[in-house]
Amino acid sequence: MWQAIGGFFAHLFSLSNPLWWYYPLCLVVAVVYKATKFDEPRKIVLAALHFFGSVSAGMIVLAAVFYVVSRVF
Amino acid sequence: MTADAYRKRSPVAALVLGWILPGAGHAYAGLWGKAILFFLLITALVVAGMVMSRGTNLLPDRLWYAAQVCAGGPALALTPVSQYLATPRESVDWADPLHETGTLYTAVAGFLNLLVMMDAYIRLAYPGRRQEETA
Repeated sequence: MWQAIGGFFAHLFSLSNPLWWYYPLCLVVAVVYKATKFDEPRKIVLAALHFFGSVSAGMIVLAAVFYVVSRVF
Repeated sequence: MTADAYRKRSPVAALVLGWILPGAGHAYAGLWGKAILFFLLITALVVAGMVMSRGTNLLPDRLWYAAQVCAGGPALALTPVSQYLATPRESVDWADPLHETGTLYTAVAGFLNLLVMMDAYIRLAYPGRRQEETA
């Protein structure tokens, strides 16, 4: 179990991980979506960072769960 | 821009302009800052997607194209290039993760442009309501 979790983090931070390509996409989605919601630049930046952080954290948690499940079972 | 100035402009024109060139609907509505931001980000996604998939992702005979074409001008302009580079079809590595990611980038660019077009339309069609929401 701990080996699987360690393996996940090693894979997560390796450059060969295709997951890295989804972060720029996620950032652009966050900025465009929040720019349609707010008019003030400061509000756009803060809301986009919050959105990006939430989605990124969610993606990492989900990836960790799937990785551990695939290694343990 | 005041609510009166918004009323003088056509929401449908903003929608159509937004499809032809990402962000042009907002430029038409007088929101130049947002127009430039949307144009740069959406065009960058389309171009990045093309580069990732080595220019072979904008193909009208694939279902992805329905989403990609919503990005308007940039996607339409790059379609002939993609068709040329993806000939013959056997030369394309469809299973390459970068090809899949590039295709996703361009499809998301299309969906984002749809959102931007609708925002430009709503800002001109219902100016009072939009200003209340964003206040």
